[in-house]
Amino acid sequence: MTIKMTEVWKTFGEGHTAVHALRDVDLVSPQGEFTVILGPSGSGKTTLLNLVGAIDDTTGGSIEVNGVDLEALDVDERVKYRRENVGFIFQFFNLIPTLTAAENVELVADLTMHDGADRAAEVLEQVGLGDRGHHFPAQLSGGEQQRVAIARALVKQPPILLCDEPTGELDFETGRMILSLLRRVSREQGQTVLLVTHNAAIGEIADRVLRLRSGEIVDDRRNESPIDAGALTW
Amino acid sequence: MVKPLHRKLFRDIGRHKAQFIAVTITMFLGVTIFGATYDSFQNLQASYGSTATEYHFANLTVSGGDVDTLVAEAAGTDAVESVEVRTVADIPFRVGDVKLLGRIVGVPATGQPEVNQLKVIEGNYLDPETPDGVLVEQHMADHFDLAIGDSFEVLAGTDWMQVTVQGVASSPEYIWPARDRQDILTSPDNFGVIFPSAELAATLTTDPDNEAVFYYVDGEPDEETTALLSGRARDLGATNVYTRAEQPSNAGLSEDLKGFEEMAVFFPIMFLLAASMAAYVMISRMVHSQRPHIGVLVANGFTRGQVLRHYLGYGLVPGLVGSIPGAIAGILLARVITRLYTQMLSVPVTLVQFYPTTLFGAIAFGLVASLLAALAPALVASRVQPAEAMRGETPSGGGRQSIFERLIPPLRRIPVSWRMALRGVGRNPRRTAYTIVGVVLSLMLVLVSWGMIDTIDHLMTRQFVEIQREDATVYFTQPVSRADVVALEDIAGVAKAEPALTLPVSLSSTTDHYETALLVLADGTEMHRFASTNGDWIELPDRGLVVGKAIESLLDVEIGDDLEVKAPGGITLREPIAAFVDEPLGTMAYVSRDRAETLAGTELPATSALVAYTDDADAAQLRNALTDRPEIAAFEDAKALYSVMQDYMVLFYVFVGVMLAFGAAMAFALIFNAMSVNIAERNREVATLLAVGTDRRRISRYITAENLLVVLMGIPLGLVAGYYASQAAMKSYTSDLMAFDLYVRPTTFLWAAVAMVAVALVSQWPGLRAVRRLSIPKIVKERSA
Repeated sequence: MTIKMTEVWKTFGEGHTAVHALRDVDLVSPQGEFTVILGPSGSGKTTLLNLVGAIDDTTGGSIEVNGVDLEALDVDERVKYRRENVGFIFQFFNLIPTLTAAENVELVADLTMHDGADRAAEVLEQVGLGDRGHHFPAQLSGGEQQRVAIARALVKQPPILLCDEPTGELDFETGRMILSLLRRVSREQGQTVLLVTHNAAIGEIADRVLRLRSGEIVDDRRNESPIDAGALTW
Repeated sequence: MVKPLHRKLFRDIGRHKAQFIAVTITMFLGVTIFGATYDSFQNLQASYGSTATEYHFANLTVSGGDVDTLVAEAAGTDAVESVEVRTVADIPFRVGDVKLLGRIVGVPATGQPEVNQLKVIEGNYLDPETPDGVLVEQHMADHFDLAIGDSFEVLAGTDWMQVTVQGVASSPEYIWPARDRQDILTSPDNFGVIFPSAELAATLTTDPDNEAVFYYVDGEPDEETTALLSGRARDLGATNVYTRAEQPSNAGLSEDLKGFEEMAVFFPIMFLLAASMAAYVMISRMVHSQRPHIGVLVANGFTRGQVLRHYLGYGLVPGLVGSIPGAIAGILLARVITRLYTQMLSVPVTLVQFYPTTLFGAIAFGLVASLLAALAPALVASRVQPAEAMRGETPSGGGRQSIFERLIPPLRRIPVSWRMALRGVGRNPRRTAYTIVGVVLSLMLVLVSWGMIDTIDHLMTRQFVEIQREDATVYFTQPVSRADVVALEDIAGVAKAEPALTLPVSLSSTTDHYETALLVLADGTEMHRFASTNGDWIELPDRGLVVGKAIESLLDVEIGDDLEVKAPGGITLREPIAAFVDEPLGTMAYVSRDRAETLAGTELPATSALVAYTDDADAAQLRNALTDRPEIAAFEDAKALYSVMQDYMVLFYVFVGVMLAFGAAMAFALIFNAMSVNIAERNREVATLLAVGTDRRRISRYITAENLLVVLMGIPLGLVAGYYASQAAMKSYTSDLMAFDLYVRPTTFLWAAVAMVAVALVSQWPGLRAVRRLSIPKIVKERSA
């Protein structure tokens, strides 16, 4: 799926308290591209992700996903768009504590398919947690929780994967393992990935690296030879 | 200048104003009900007490026997301040077309009696110059619309005599117009009281000067004097001896007062408990979400005492805001209730006083309840470890299968979204428990009031339809034969007529006495059915007495024991108890006519008859047909009271409606607060679900399912607790005057449960609205939602 942002503005507040989170952003991300978005806090990284995920509205400009203008969608259509097209991965995992790992994945699988439980088991296997499905989040390590979150995002096979600081809460080794996993499954499934991070080193695994500063794209470069996540150091 | 911590307190309250308002309103209602009921109780008690003193309400009343000797002996007793001998008799009255069995109470024509004085409300006291003048008791005057100068008739022997209304009066003896202890509920069409001069009264009965009333020094109760005079009265052949507390009207009012006293405890406790729990849930959540702030406060040098006091403030504020206006509103409401009540009953003296203890007590109750609610979370706040708290990580609860899944394994295979709802119930067991308790309390509140109405409705039907089969009692101008009674069946519409005789009697066992009425009924009577204590219908036996079940404990007797029966005219006989019967109203004694005649050694006259109508009879026409007959002096509609009560049921349902509204308010406060906290605690989960494409309606359904599950868990407990609370409430009203055996219609349980589900659905509406307003981007990014 191709993501196309044209002259996108996002402003919080009004008048002299207005903060421009995004300013006149233009971006085209073709299907299957793995893009890392870098920038300091407050640069607009997460805002950009939220707009593509249709959980927030633009102030100006347009975002099209495969030719569909997200701003033109009503509430129900946005829900359907997210359900069918977007997988989210958050910094704080956001797993539901009363559901087991398998059930957290199954919950999302149930939204789009009938064989949710089988599919959940498959995806957990894929992220290396085949034997941990019956554990509750509190019984899992941070890395395992994030892998469950990835499984949850992947289970409905969304064409777009939006990752907000997915390694922010993890130690170096676990972070590297998560990035490897993300890179592998997105390549296998041909997903368009937008991954937001503070960590410039992570850019080395991407097909493309964007830098945001004060809501503007200040650098947009292609990475001709992305390295394997296992070789990353920071 | 307001300190920053106080500013934080008020701003936090502002941010959670809906929850604080819910707690404050519940607190307000609890304190208001306490103030209103407790002050009404105190005001009414004071009004009755003052009436008793001001109008020299008798401490002891003795009927029958050698009254003159008793009075002469009592005159030498220092404890008796005044005594009065008077004529009291139940005789027929004819007021317009209505013939009823009324009561005459003779009073001196020249001035107020020494005991049981009257308050003349309209007209004047009796005048010796107007020998046919009478004072009419206010309830009767109101019912028959009798004004000064109006006339009606009383039966003097066998002739009707006209009397003139000289005035309308109220009496401490008839504030509640009860004929006697066995007939505490009367219809104004069947009973009324007039006060003729002693001279006139003596001419209206064959048994003049038959009652003595004693007023002790300052009207104070004196058990020793009572025991002395009662014992002597019985020795002298008295058939009825009762103290002020046992006096029918006063006993009825005492039952009523007891109701106020119980309401003043039961209802406020429920509300304050509910308010406390709602406050606890809210403040606990606040402390939980503010752990990082508390950590910062402690790290910066705030003492644990300061933190404790700060969080106690979250209880103190709704406590003060709810209880001070609540106490004032309650006290003002009590004034209105007292005035309405005393006006309605024509209580001669109305005392509305300010009781500082109620004001301060009500405020104290509210404050204590709210501070106790805040104490546990405030203590938690004061013990927060700053280093841990400032990391911003609140301890995460471990997940596990719900109790439902563990008990019912197939539930493990239901869709995962519904499993989530099941597990949500056990997520915060304490909060779930409090919500359940809220449901239980609300159902108790509703069932106690609704159960009372069902019980009254049921006992009226049982007494006036199932037990008393007659449609009317007619009293003859003079004793008639059985044949004369049977002749009534010739009247079109009369299906059956049986002779009846009611005698005031004193029943004695070896341990105690009990004054009641002995009803002599035809053998194999079809007019009265006897319900044994095990629920079976039994026949009136050929031999022995059938007595109300209260006799068993009152006289410490059992079936087969002999009772001494003392009847008017110095007749004393012994007869064994054949059976105890379970009757809602009164504690009567019954004997068959044949047995009574055998014991008396003579044929008994019939002074009255019980009459049953045919199914197609026109009751009004028959009443006219019967009362038009010259031999019939009075008519008592057996269903009149039943009809009056049926009419009053509408009012009772209004009462239930009010209680439902109160119960709903209470349930709303608790469920709303628990819901709000549930949703606040789950913001991140809800936002995540929304982000992955779950629509809000589906999330609302999960939340609704979870909340309804908690409410459904509370409903059976609430119905059971409500049933037992109703039973306890009814039991507290049960005496020899009335047996309130609880009866709750199955539909009552059903409607109460439905009402609770409806309240739960409404309570969660604000929370669901909050879900709709949730900002997904903001919440999913927060470290600790």
